[in-house]
Amino acid sequence: MSDQLLSPDHPSVVFACRGVQVYVKDGDTEKQIVRGVDLTVRRGEKHALMGPNGSGKSTLAAALMGHPSYRVEGDIWLNGERVDALEPHMRARRGMFLSFQYPVAVPGVTVANFLRASLAARRGTEIPVRAFRQELNAAFATMSIDPSFITRYLNDGFSGGEKKKLEILQMLLLKPAFSLLDETDSGLDIDALKIVSDGINLASGPDNGLLLVTHYQRILNHVQPDVVHVFMNGHLVRTGGMELVTALEERGYDWLAEEAAIPEGSRA
Amino acid sequence: MAEDTTSVIASARPALDEGLLKALAATLGGDAAQVSRRLAALARYEKAAEPDRVRHLWRFTNPALLLPASVTGAPATDIVLTSAAPVAGASVTIDLWPGQAPAVQTAEDLPVGALVFTAADEPFAAGGAPAGDLFAALGDAAWNTGVGLQVAAGVKLAGPIHVRVHASAAAVLPRVRLDVGRGAEAMLVEHHTGGGPDVRVAGSTVINAADGARVRHAVVQVWEPGTCGHLAVRTRAGADADILTVCGVFGGDETKLELGTDLAGAGAHSEIVGVALVAGKQHADVHTSHRHLAGHTTSRIDYKAVAGQQARSTYTGLIRIEERATHCEAYQENRNLLLSSRARADAIPELEIHNQEVSCSHGATIAPVDPEQLFYLGSRGLDPHEAMGLVVRGFLENTLARLPDDARSMVESFTAPRLATIREGGA
Repeated sequence: MSDQLLSPDHPSVVFACRGVQVYVKDGDTEKQIVRGVDLTVRRGEKHALMGPNGSGKSTLAAALMGHPSYRVEGDIWLNGERVDALEPHMRARRGMFLSFQYPVAVPGVTVANFLRASLAARRGTEIPVRAFRQELNAAFATMSIDPSFITRYLNDGFSGGEKKKLEILQMLLLKPAFSLLDETDSGLDIDALKIVSDGINLASGPDNGLLLVTHYQRILNHVQPDVVHVFMNGHLVRTGGMELVTALEERGYDWLAEEAAIPEGSRA
Repeated sequence: MAEDTTSVIASARPALDEGLLKALAATLGGDAAQVSRRLAALARYEKAAEPDRVRHLWRFTNPALLLPASVTGAPATDIVLTSAAPVAGASVTIDLWPGQAPAVQTAEDLPVGALVFTAADEPFAAGGAPAGDLFAALGDAAWNTGVGLQVAAGVKLAGPIHVRVHASAAAVLPRVRLDVGRGAEAMLVEHHTGGGPDVRVAGSTVINAADGARVRHAVVQVWEPGTCGHLAVRTRAGADADILTVCGVFGGDETKLELGTDLAGAGAHSEIVGVALVAGKQHADVHTSHRHLAGHTTSRIDYKAVAGQQARSTYTGLIRIEERATHCEAYQENRNLLLSSRARADAIPELEIHNQEVSCSHGATIAPVDPEQLFYLGSRGLDPHEAMGLVVRGFLENTLARLPDDARSMVESFTAPRLATIREGGA
C-alpha cells in the first residue's frame, strides 16, 4: 500500500494513525483490544473497516475519538496535527466526527438546542437564530426527518433509524474533515439505508475523508469505498479495494484468519 | 462515633425570656395581643423537646447547626409592617433590609383595601406547625422581622408580591404571613439573601388560602456561603383552593427547608415544584409534607436536586391521607443528579394512607451523570463544562416546564448563574 508510505502530516492526508493500541480496564488489570493499527486516509477518500462481530471495531472508532474509558497508545493525526493528547471536544472542534452505533439519549435537551451548541462549538461562533433555522430545515428535509423532531429531546424515544438519520444530519451540518461512522447501517430498513447513504455521500467531498465501520456489504453498495481494511484480533489483517468486500461476502472471515495465523479462539 | 444529641441541642438552643420578647414586640410596634402570643410561644418553646433524630424529618441534619446562638431584643431589620395599612398597587416589593428605610414599592393601581399589611403573627386558622415543634415555637416567640399581608376576597392581584429578606444579623427570624381571601388570587415571591459564616436564619411562612383562592408562592434561598438556616412554610388550602409552591435552594452551607401543606377543604389542589443546585460542602435538606384532610383533594410534588463536588442533597417527603379523605390523588417524585463521585443524595419518600379509595404513587432516583452522555456531547465539540451544563439543564427541564412562564423565568434567573459557579468549581 503506497498510501502507508505517506507521512501523516503530508498535505494530502486528512487523517492518520500510527501504532494505535487500545486497552480497556478489566477488573484490576487491562485488556488489550487494539494491537497496533496504522491508517492513512487521504483527502477525498472513503475507507471501510470490516471485521467480525466483537472484533473491537467500535472500540477502535471510539478510542480514536478520545473516549475516556480507553487508554490509547500511538499517534493520531488530523489535518497534519497530532490530536491524540486532545480531549474529544477539541478533536471535534478541529474537524473529527463520530457517528455512534448507539447514540445516547439526552432527555430534556432539544435537538435544536443541542445542534445550535454543537454548531457554535465547531464554527467557533454563535449562529444567528434565523440562519440556524434555515440551515436546520434544509438539513431535516435532506435527511427526510420530520421537522417536529427539531423540538424533541435528543435521541429520546427515537427509533434506531431516526437516530442514525440524525447522526448523519449532524455530519452534514458540522462538515467534519474526517468522520468515523460506526455501524451507521445497522438497524436500518432499505429506505432508511438509502437516505443515510445519500447523506454520507453528500457530506463527502474532495477535502474530507471517512472511515466507515461495518460488517455488512450492504451499505458499501451505496457508499463506495476507495480502500477496504479487514480488522481482526486487534490488527488490520488485510487492506484492499471492493474486491475484498466481494471475497468476504463469499467466503466469510475465516480464510483471512487462517492466512493471518490467528488462533481460532482469537478471531473475533 | 456516639454523639450526645440531647446535650448538643440543649446547649445550642438560644435562651429566651419574657423581658427580651417584650422588648422585641415593643421595637416592632406589636400590641398587647402580640406580646401575649409571644409569651404563649415562649411557654411552648421551653417545653419543646429537641427534634427527634431518629425520625426522618431530622435524621440527616443536626438541628444544632441551624439554631442561632442567641437572640437579642433588637429586630433583625428596621422595618416590620405590623399595623394594618391598606396598600394600593398590584405589584409590590417589600425589602426587609437592615439599616434602610421601609421600602415598599408598588405599581399599578388597585382599589384601596385590596391588599393590606397586617400583623405577621396573627393566629393561624388551622393546621400550622405540629405542637412541640422547637423551630416553630422559637419563631412564634422571637421572630424579629417580618410582614403580614391580606388579599381581600375576590381580588386578583395582577403582579407578584416580592418579599426580600436580607439576613445580616447573627440571628434572623423572619416571619411572613399571607392570607388570601375567598376566590382571590395572589403570587408571593420570598427572596432569602444575605448571610455569612456567623449568620443563622430560622424563618417561618404561613399561608392561608381561603375557599376557591388561587395562590402562587415561591421561596428562593440564595444565602452567602457560611450561612446556616431553617425555613418552614406552612400552607392551608380551603375547598377548591389551588396552590402552587415553587422552591429554589441554591445557597448557604447547612440548610433545611420544610414545606407543609394541609389540604383542608374538598377539591383543594397543591403542587410543589422544586429545584436545588448545591456544590462545595453544601447540604440542602428539603422536607415536604402533604396532608390530605378532606376528600377529593389532589397533590403533586416534583423536586429535583443537583449536587456537585462534595455536596449533599437530602429529601424526605410525606404524603398522609386521612381516613375521611377519600377519592384523593397524590403523586410525589424526587430525582437527584450527582455531578461528582463524592456528591451524595438521600431520598426518602413516605406514604401514609388511611383509606382505600385513593390514587397515590411516589418515585425517587439518585444517579450520577452518564459519562456516555458527556462523551457524546464532547464528540460534537461541547467542552466538559458545556456538556455538563446541558445535561443538568435537561435534567431540570421537565420539572421547570411544569411552571407558568413567569415563575419559570424567575427560577431560571437563579439556576443559570448557580450552575455556572458550580461548573467553575470543577464539579
